[in-house]
Amino acid sequence: MNNDALSPIILSLVTFLPLAGGLLLMLFPRRDRDIRIFALVITLLTFVLSLHLPVHFQRSHIDFQYQIDKQWVTTPNIHYHMGIDGISLWLIVLTTFLTPLCVLISWTSIHERAKEFFILLLILETALIGVFTALDLFLFYFFWEATLIPMALLIGIFGHERKVYAAVKFFMYTMIASVFMLAAILWLYAHTGSFDFVVVRDQIMRGAVPQFPAAAQWLFLGFFLAFAVKVPLFPFHTWLPDAHVEAPTAGSVLLAGVLLKMGTYGLLRFNLGLFPEQARHNAWWVMTLALIGIIYGALVAMVQPNMKKLIAYSSVSHLGFVVLGIFSFTQAGLNGAMFVMLAHGISTGGLFMLAGVLHERRHTYEISEFGGLASPLPVYAATYLVIVLASVGLPLMNGFIGEFLVLSGAFQDRAVYGILAATGVIWSAVYLLWMYQRVFYGKVTHTVNNSLSDLSGFEKIAIWPCAAVALLMGVAPIMWLGAIDPAVQAALTPFTRVASRMVGQ
Amino acid sequence: MNPNLNLWLIPLLPLAGAAINGFWGKKSSRNAVTAVALFFSGAAFAMALLVALRFSSLALPYHEFFAHWIRSGNFTADFSFYLDQLSLVMLLVVTGVGFLIHIYSVGYMWDDPSYYRFFSYLNLFMFFMLTLVLADNYLLMFIGWEGVGLASYLLIGFWFTKDSAASAGKKAFIVNRIGDFGFLIALFLLIKHFGSLNFDRVFGSVMPLGVETAGAGLLTAIGILLMVGACGKSAQIPLYIWLPDAMEGPTPVSALIHAATMVTAGVYMVSRSHVIFERAPIALTVVAIIGTLTAFFAATIGIAQTDIKKVLAYSTVSQLGYMFMACGAGAFSAGIFHLMTHAFFKGLLFLGAGSVIHAVGGEQDMRKMGGLKSFIPWTFLTMGIATLAIAGIPPLAGFWSKDEILWKAYQASPVYWAIGVITAFITSFYMFRLLYMTFFGDYHGAQVDEHGHGSHGHASHGNDDHGHGSPHESPMVMLVPLMILAVLSLVGGLVGIGDRFENFLAPVFGAREVAEAGSRRTELLLMGISVAVAVLGERLANLLYYKRPELPQRIADSLDGLYEAVVHKYYIDELYAAIFVKPLIDGSTRILWQGVDRNIIDAAVNDAGDVARQASDEVRHMQSGNIRSYAGWVAAGAAAVIAFMIWMGVR
Amino acid sequence: MIAALVQAFSRVLPQSADYIRVLPEIVLSIFGMVVMVLEPLLDEQQSQKILGLIGLLGSLAGLGATWFMSLSPGMAFWNTVQVDGFSVFFHVLVIAIAGIVILSSYEYMSVQRIRAGEYYALILFGTVGMALMSSAIELVLIFIALEISSISSYVLVGFRRHEASSAEASLKYFLLGSFATAFFLYGVALMFGATGSTNINEISKVLQAGQIPLLAFAAVALMFVGLGFKVAAAPFHIWTPDVYEGAPAPIVGLMSTGPKAAAFAVLLRIVFVVNVPGRLWLVWISAALSMTLGNVGALVQNNVKRLLAYSSIAHAGYLLMAFAATPALGASAAMFYTAAYAAMNLGAFAIVSHFANAGERSVSLEDYEGLGRSSPLLAATLTIFLLSLIGIPMTGGFFAKFYVFSAAVKANLIWLTIIGVLNSGIGAYYYLRIIVVMYMRESRKEVPVTPVPLSLRVAIAFCLAATIYLGIFPGGALRYAQDSAQQMVQQAAPDIPASRPASTTPATL
Repeated sequence: MNNDALSPIILSLVTFLPLAGGLLLMLFPRRDRDIRIFALVITLLTFVLSLHLPVHFQRSHIDFQYQIDKQWVTTPNIHYHMGIDGISLWLIVLTTFLTPLCVLISWTSIHERAKEFFILLLILETALIGVFTALDLFLFYFFWEATLIPMALLIGIFGHERKVYAAVKFFMYTMIASVFMLAAILWLYAHTGSFDFVVVRDQIMRGAVPQFPAAAQWLFLGFFLAFAVKVPLFPFHTWLPDAHVEAPTAGSVLLAGVLLKMGTYGLLRFNLGLFPEQARHNAWWVMTLALIGIIYGALVAMVQPNMKKLIAYSSVSHLGFVVLGIFSFTQAGLNGAMFVMLAHGISTGGLFMLAGVLHERRHTYEISEFGGLASPLPVYAATYLVIVLASVGLPLMNGFIGEFLVLSGAFQDRAVYGILAATGVIWSAVYLLWMYQRVFYGKVTHTVNNSLSDLSGFEKIAIWPCAAVALLMGVAPIMWLGAIDPAVQAALTPFTRVASRMVGQ
Repeated sequence: MNPNLNLWLIPLLPLAGAAINGFWGKKSSRNAVTAVALFFSGAAFAMALLVALRFSSLALPYHEFFAHWIRSGNFTADFSFYLDQLSLVMLLVVTGVGFLIHIYSVGYMWDDPSYYRFFSYLNLFMFFMLTLVLADNYLLMFIGWEGVGLASYLLIGFWFTKDSAASAGKKAFIVNRIGDFGFLIALFLLIKHFGSLNFDRVFGSVMPLGVETAGAGLLTAIGILLMVGACGKSAQIPLYIWLPDAMEGPTPVSALIHAATMVTAGVYMVSRSHVIFERAPIALTVVAIIGTLTAFFAATIGIAQTDIKKVLAYSTVSQLGYMFMACGAGAFSAGIFHLMTHAFFKGLLFLGAGSVIHAVGGEQDMRKMGGLKSFIPWTFLTMGIATLAIAGIPPLAGFWSKDEILWKAYQASPVYWAIGVITAFITSFYMFRLLYMTFFGDYHGAQVDEHGHGSHGHASHGNDDHGHGSPHESPMVMLVPLMILAVLSLVGGLVGIGDRFENFLAPVFGAREVAEAGSRRTELLLMGISVAVAVLGERLANLLYYKRPELPQRIADSLDGLYEAVVHKYYIDELYAAIFVKPLIDGSTRILWQGVDRNIIDAAVNDAGDVARQASDEVRHMQSGNIRSYAGWVAAGAAAVIAFMIWMGVR
Repeated sequence: MIAALVQAFSRVLPQSADYIRVLPEIVLSIFGMVVMVLEPLLDEQQSQKILGLIGLLGSLAGLGATWFMSLSPGMAFWNTVQVDGFSVFFHVLVIAIAGIVILSSYEYMSVQRIRAGEYYALILFGTVGMALMSSAIELVLIFIALEISSISSYVLVGFRRHEASSAEASLKYFLLGSFATAFFLYGVALMFGATGSTNINEISKVLQAGQIPLLAFAAVALMFVGLGFKVAAAPFHIWTPDVYEGAPAPIVGLMSTGPKAAAFAVLLRIVFVVNVPGRLWLVWISAALSMTLGNVGALVQNNVKRLLAYSSIAHAGYLLMAFAATPALGASAAMFYTAAYAAMNLGAFAIVSHFANAGERSVSLEDYEGLGRSSPLLAATLTIFLLSLIGIPMTGGFFAKFYVFSAAVKANLIWLTIIGVLNSGIGAYYYLRIIVVMYMRESRKEVPVTPVPLSLRVAIAFCLAATIYLGIFPGGALRYAQDSAQQMVQQAAPDIPASRPASTTPATL
């Protein structure tokens, strides 16, 4: 049992293995095939390693596990402090799960500058995992910013027509938003003398931070803004459709699958973890924004002529569910939020891959360009249908569990919000099924589409895992909730306290 | 203690069938596909029968835990099953009728290119439907609930190259979703107030609550919301619109899903929740009113339809209305009774219709039929029986159940009864109309084989093969199910005699109050009336569509406004399109997407960028390149700094 | 052993310690003269390499001398020069800068066909001035040092003789520069009038003793004008873009780092040691102004040199933020910033001067299109420098900004910090533009890509190493800066409330 040997270093290993791979890749000669294979091997290895986390995870423990805490910079007092709980656990696995699929889906579609592509992909993976593992505010910000460059480059170099616009928009949106988080982090450090999340949290809880009550609201907003843009929460969402439409498939998959979750994860970990009272006080308008996002995103998605834009707006809607769940401060709500994060990562990742498959054959995402595809591409159509149903939130698929929990949580907290948000189950069916019908049903409208080739081997092994996991998550959510539930319970303890205090007043 | 019945196998067997056919059906032969499909659905039926045999020996309700599903805080929902008299009835109906229709489909779908896909879907439907009826908590039930919706979506859109079919499937799913929305909210209320969705736990905590006589309360809200769900699934006003379109699907599907089983899920769910409804009189009234109205309303539309399946579709809607009328009147057992008999005769009618369509090469317009009784005697015979049954002619199945309902409705309120009776008259009229138009008179159909292609295109379900033009009887594999169902429609009602059926369900719905002698007499009187109207309806149809076929046209012309409206289903679809669909799409496009997203948010962002660029230009123009101006700048800056510092100093 | 050697010296000739404390300046001057002398003797062809080599050796020797100097801290020449951690830090910095500039000038000179000779000498002399600025604590001496560095840079700016723009730039720089230094001189005079001394330590004692005469305020203002001009802080930044555009690329690299660092060193001493009254708001405004003007101005620049000129204004602004913070934190943060900024900016300019080609024709954004393809390595390196300038993690620029900001937050300058972070957000845009054109656009016109000579490689490699090192292990450099800052501040009396009281947390960063 190498468990004990591995556990202390596992997080560093999982986090930095891709980066190491990327650096090695720089030395490779430009033989695309070798590069691809190497990238695949690295990412798969990372995935396998990351499975160590859930396997040896103590579900009963609520504190952070696999912790590693080393001084990095003495002044300022920055620690290389990593550790995970049930909240970050699955997000890491999600990341390591999606990345190999990204490599596979890019196998044939990226033919020029493949080297740069896979290097960026690997660097991005490290940054993403780092965001979820970091327990030191500084380290967190460090990884947070680090995700920016590779993603922007992926969009800007390998994207489509308006790639530059999209890349710059993406970069500037997140950059400008996240500097406010930096300011907030600096304030916390200046007044606690530590970047360590746990230390800072405890100091705040003990009320040992000078001038905190005065600043708390601003700090909350500082963090919130950075995360809200990432999520993206209405009205900060307009970078998302452009980024998605222009990004290469793998980029979209990671963008929707993981990057957006950085925002919701941040809200959950920091805005709730550090500022419970502010979270309570601001919940009403945050939930309102989330609610608007759910309905607005769905309605706009419904009328999109472009498949990828449609999926992008649907992400706005789905992520709205997550935020709604988080700010309901209920067990169900948070469990649901976590679950939606994962479910959305899988199903939307799958959708983007499928969209990419189509783009590779027809070089367009315009829905009107298709129609009747079910006859020439039966396998593709079937796969697509499965993913769509997962995304629609059909019971026994992953989408349902999360949405159900979120909605019931929101309903318990604020019935009206729950009810209005529940209309989302109608909208999602409307826009997805309508899109599906326009693309796959009816007679083949463009003769070109008759000659399209069905899913290739690589595409199958890239996409089918998503479908399988989507189903598994719907049938046996217990496997995920088992770890999430206690962590969420722990995350909620301050709120029960706050609530009681507010009752006291 | 109870023996282990392994209920979990009952739903899972069809699922296995669906999976096998789904994954490998394409490559395997039709016979193999048939074998798989029939075996697994048959096995489910066999197990159901087994359960029925051992039923008397069980301590009810019987629980069976299968696996954990969701666990969140102290809320849990598991894969566990629940068996009592109610679910047993449903179980038998679903598996039994389902199995028969599987058999029938073998003949009906034989020549369809994606034969395997059809059976895979059909088995999938069985899986979900059985999950629905066997669930021991609302959430598991919801799985089945939405699952059957999925199956129906797939099967309605089975011939997806037909746009109408694809749209119909989508419409069905979405309208159902609207209903499910209500269902979900009801579930949230249950969770919020009872912390569980488990039937026993919920009902256990509802039992002590008093009847909400003082007006609407929690239970009323829950009840009405559940009814919203039921309206979606069971095609009641205002959500019935999807069912007629659903006839785009292959006829066996219409028989199984849109007549016998799925659409009755709403009735089952309401009856299952009777504990809640009994304590929420207002909710019950709502159910009753919706049921009654739907029954009448749909029946009237049925009069003017010329598409044989559409007639049956509206008749189904109307019959479902009866069932809800019963539930609303608190006579849940009566509702379930009618559910069962309806499954027999309506399933039979659809299969018969299928056989007819099959015979005339895909034609569905009754005006192009007629005189078929000589071509397809068996079909005629069985359909005739079914018609008598649905019309409520004693002693056929329909008579008993419908009479039971009317009687209970009368006890609740004579108004229900009155409308019910009128509906019964209309029902018998349009059913016989169908019968006469189809089987009597002389054949107006064109040569079959042309029709085989042409109108149905891809939807040419197995009738392009025969060269000869005259309609022809269906193969045995299709007729046998017809006959079996015919027998059931004949005698199926007898179980209701002397309230045997009601007593059987009594443990679930509670014992019925003994009707005193006085009301006995009224009951007989009412029985007479309903039989009378049934006969009346038959006579009228006979007159209009057999003796004097030219009359209907004249009547139609005389009151064309109304007639037009009826033919066009009162323009309900158009209405919905006008007030919901169009505004939604236009609004989303113009206001939200192009308006808010593009012209407000994005515009604001881009403007900010432009502002910055302009500012940048300004700054750039400070660089005149002219050294004097530079010196001026420096001097000015210096002056400012000095002045500032002096000021600081003076302060 | 070394110490023993020092002892020996001091026994041989008295005051030898004094000479040791200005040893780097002496060494550099000697090498400078050697270059001057040799220049006419050598013929064109070799002169390039040889003189450059000597210049390089000179800077290396200077570094050695600095190390030697650092062993005998203390006052020299009647308390006009002070050797402490602070001055050592800046000595190392400016001399290293000089070395790198010389390295990156090699190729440039040959490409631009500029006769070498005095070029390298001037760099060395200029360095002498900068070095002296950092160690002098006598205002008059500081003024002289300032002039030494300035005058040499005036000449260097005009070195592209056959380019009109260069000559013009030189002239502008000269006129405005002398204009500004005049202000400084006045400031010195007034300070003398106000305190009766020109020695910084004396002055601080006097000022802290009694209540402050109005003259002192005026003096500070005037000195700030002079130094503000040198560091290109608003509102005295006006000259920067033109001069940077005209001057030879390597020299821009030098000017934007060396003299700047030295001037900041002086400013640090004056502001923190003297702890001048009312510095807070003065610096506050100037910082905010510089950041904003610099960043906004850069947004639409298409000439890379001009763009970097504006960026240097902005960075001066960030740096000034530190001056508003509490002395210990502020000084160390500022010191770290100068170092990090030197590394990344020199690197950037080294690459720019390589891309510039003969006559510096390719310095517009269009010329950078497709460089990601044509010369991936250089492009990647430039990208890293630019990211560092943006302040992306893993780079020195990040920690530089980070320290300055946190110093400001510690001093409760929340709004200044907000302005700062917002600026660094906006500032990202124009650096990104360069990256974008390099990677995301296909080159339209053919830009010749010449191989990178060894000398330049070494220079760039050094800058890259420094940038990344400071980005990953900033601790060492910062700790050194803090110690020397502490030490420097100690010389003056403990912090008087010219700066708002810092929060109750430990006074380290």
